[in-house]
Amino acid sequence: MGNELTLAVAGSRKTQGIVERCASLPGDRRVLVLTYTQTNQEELRSRLKEHAGDHHNIEVMGWFSFLLSHFAKPFFPFKFPRQRVLGFNFDGRPDRFARGSSRFLDARGAAYACELGKLAHELVAESKGSLLRRLESIYDEILIDEVQDFSAHDWEIIDVLLRSSTDIRMVGDIRQSVLATNPRSKKNAKYSYANAITWFREREADGLLEIKDSVITWRCQPQVSAFSDMIFDSSWGFPATQSKNDAVTDHDGVYLVTTKHVNEYVDRYKPQCLRHSVSSGKNFDLDFLNFKVSKGMTCERVLIIPTEPITKFIQSGTYLGPTPASSFYVAVTRAKQSVAIVLDDAGASALPFWQPTS
Amino acid sequence: MTCAITDIKIQGYRIHRDLTVKPNRKFNLVVGANESGKSTFMEAVTLALTGRINGRSASDELNPHWFNTVVVDEFIQKRKGGLPAGFPVILIELSFEDVPELQILCGAINTHVPTHACPGVTMTIAPNPEYADELEAWAKTPTSLLPVEYYKCDWRSFADKELSSRPKLLATAVIDSRTVRASTGVDYHLRHILDDQLVPAERAEISLEYRRVKALMSETALSAVNLRMSTVHATLHSQPISLAMDQSSRTSWEGAVTPQVNNVPFSMSGQGQQSAIKISLAMNRNAGRVKFVMIEEPENHLTHTSLVTLLDRIESLAGAEQQLFISTHSSFVLNRLGLDSLILMGHDTATKLADLLPGTITYFKKLPGYDTLRIVLAKKIVLVEGPSDEMVFERIFFDTYGKRPMQCGIDVLSMRGISLPRGLELCKKLNKPVTALRDNDGADPAALRSSVEQWLKTGERELFIGDVAEGNTLEPQLIHHNSEVLLREILGITAAADLLKWMTREKTEAALRISAASKKIVPPPYMLAAVEFAHGK
Repeated sequence: MGNELTLAVAGSRKTQGIVERCASLPGDRRVLVLTYTQTNQEELRSRLKEHAGDHHNIEVMGWFSFLLSHFAKPFFPFKFPRQRVLGFNFDGRPDRFARGSSRFLDARGAAYACELGKLAHELVAESKGSLLRRLESIYDEILIDEVQDFSAHDWEIIDVLLRSSTDIRMVGDIRQSVLATNPRSKKNAKYSYANAITWFREREADGLLEIKDSVITWRCQPQVSAFSDMIFDSSWGFPATQSKNDAVTDHDGVYLVTTKHVNEYVDRYKPQCLRHSVSSGKNFDLDFLNFKVSKGMTCERVLIIPTEPITKFIQSGTYLGPTPASSFYVAVTRAKQSVAIVLDDAGASALPFWQPTS
Repeated sequence: MTCAITDIKIQGYRIHRDLTVKPNRKFNLVVGANESGKSTFMEAVTLALTGRINGRSASDELNPHWFNTVVVDEFIQKRKGGLPAGFPVILIELSFEDVPELQILCGAINTHVPTHACPGVTMTIAPNPEYADELEAWAKTPTSLLPVEYYKCDWRSFADKELSSRPKLLATAVIDSRTVRASTGVDYHLRHILDDQLVPAERAEISLEYRRVKALMSETALSAVNLRMSTVHATLHSQPISLAMDQSSRTSWEGAVTPQVNNVPFSMSGQGQQSAIKISLAMNRNAGRVKFVMIEEPENHLTHTSLVTLLDRIESLAGAEQQLFISTHSSFVLNRLGLDSLILMGHDTATKLADLLPGTITYFKKLPGYDTLRIVLAKKIVLVEGPSDEMVFERIFFDTYGKRPMQCGIDVLSMRGISLPRGLELCKKLNKPVTALRDNDGADPAALRSSVEQWLKTGERELFIGDVAEGNTLEPQLIHHNSEVLLREILGITAAADLLKWMTREKTEAALRISAASKKIVPPPYMLAAVEFAHGK
């Protein structure tokens, strides 16, 4: 069957794809479904229960649980003989000068989340093959959701998995890599965030996996999805999104809204208001969500307070860096029917201004 | 599917302070004297495989007597001496073959040095840190009964994952010689064995049908009663009262279904029959899921013929995928199932025949199983060269202590010459006290001793040899230390016969007459020393 990465666009029902994949597999195939966020785990569990409840060999696990139960806990003595991992420390960080096992474990023996990827990756080699052989014997297939969220040492582990005899199938939207499992780690910085695509293409060239595109969005209507495609410059090589949302309302597409019309616009269309962070959009007394927090949500309409680079992008077409582009992409693709961007000076933009009379 | 236990480590559990065994892939005949820890060994392996003992969970059964008394005493002495010694801990660790099927149990959380990952399970019984204060308060005035209430049983895989129920992969059948007298006829072990015979669909079908039949009872036999009872206003608020069959899980079919032998309920059949059935069920090919079979003393309750039948059955049923542990006292079982599979249980040691020198293995394979068992089972052993030495030794022992060696737990074994080093090697492996005697055959005793020096240990295993000047063999030695008159009287030979010639020619007859004589013989000093050493202070 081989390894596969599906690069999906926002609103392409990625999670549903995983659920359907599980339901289609033979019941005796031992499958592990990995994901990063807690909410997504619960979502997956409940959907699997509904659509693949007759498959008893499907296990859903968070990324950290995976590293703890299959890497760190069983094989820790290969790095530190006769020592055990006794728990998990999500927030803590080792002291800069920590030596030996205290680089990975706190005083109570709990593993630091931020060092777990590094530890797990080192144990793969230290265990002289035992670790990987164990994993290969336990699972026939590993499905990884939200692969764009991984970073740093996690990539090394995915690399190891790609080279194992277990089939690896990943889905992710590189365009919305907003979360990272270890934002503080420098490792693989060149692959972080949207640069991940390069990493995958390198592996595809080595024959380790096949990259497929899933370009249909069931969420964003055509103008919104076309606009979302423009956020990344063509050198990324992302294919164009196709919209299957053909619903028509009295207000569809992407608009600019001047500051003075914002309140009226909000009253009329009740959009979800989005901002980059608490420090943005201070001039407006609106019920905001930050871009990052909105990830995974579906909204009828959104209103976006642009950051300085977003403003520039709209006014003059200057492309955003990978990370800001990702978060702007997330914001835009929340909307089913319309996107409004608060801007007084359109510059060279061809986007129409919303007029109260219209 | 193969998944045999490759290493067994038992620490601090009952008699076993620190025992390591590398069992055989298929048959393991566990043989040892009483109190050598055979049953404890079987129990420990079962405990680590199933998390249970006598069908109850380890934590339910835990009691202070599980701890090795020496370990506990040392701990108490240290604590009384003001040393902060750690509380005694029990560890039972089983390592398995590194096969794909068992990888879920694989990891490096084990005692292997250097660090080694393989599938395995560990049962640790250690103080619960939550009760640190209580434990330390107790340790101020410690007694030999540890406060097990503050201990916890921790059952884990080598992957450091806690186990809550018997992993399916480690299906184990325990066949003890205890007979089933439970009212239902099915005890815990038998229930497990029966369970393994049924596929889930069959089990579900039986369960459903049983429930249906019970429900039917409510409508038939009970309905008339219920009609009458409905008029009795016995309850507080005059709700009708009726009888129904109990459908709760307490009364599931397992409690009502019992095996029958020739239409006789299992619990009513003979003890031998019961063990035979349990063994056959557990080892049956349909019971393919059972990977480990523990059989305790199959010879119990069986006639010789039944035992032969049973052993045949064990042999023919044992599949390549099953690992058997059989404890036995019977030399017959031993010979029948093969010396290769022998695990000799000694004090804190378990020797496999394979651990001995190749020549020694061949030797014991040729020797009747009975003799090997005697060495293994005796509390103390005396090795002599031949039957005449044996008889004379026994007599001198009796004259000295007024008891026969056997009454003191001492087995005198005639080794027929060449095998003395083999015997000593085995005794050393078994950590067994041994008294060895041999003729000097004209050679310097010191030189003779040096050839077996490696197996000897002062105070434990000693070799006694007569002085060359006092005669090369037993007979000249006897002549040297006894007056000719006394000897002729004891032996009952005429003056015409040459004493030395007659004794040398009629070795066994001479010894027999010495042993039966009313007068005591004067023992050669090396033999007296041997008698005293064997008897001990």
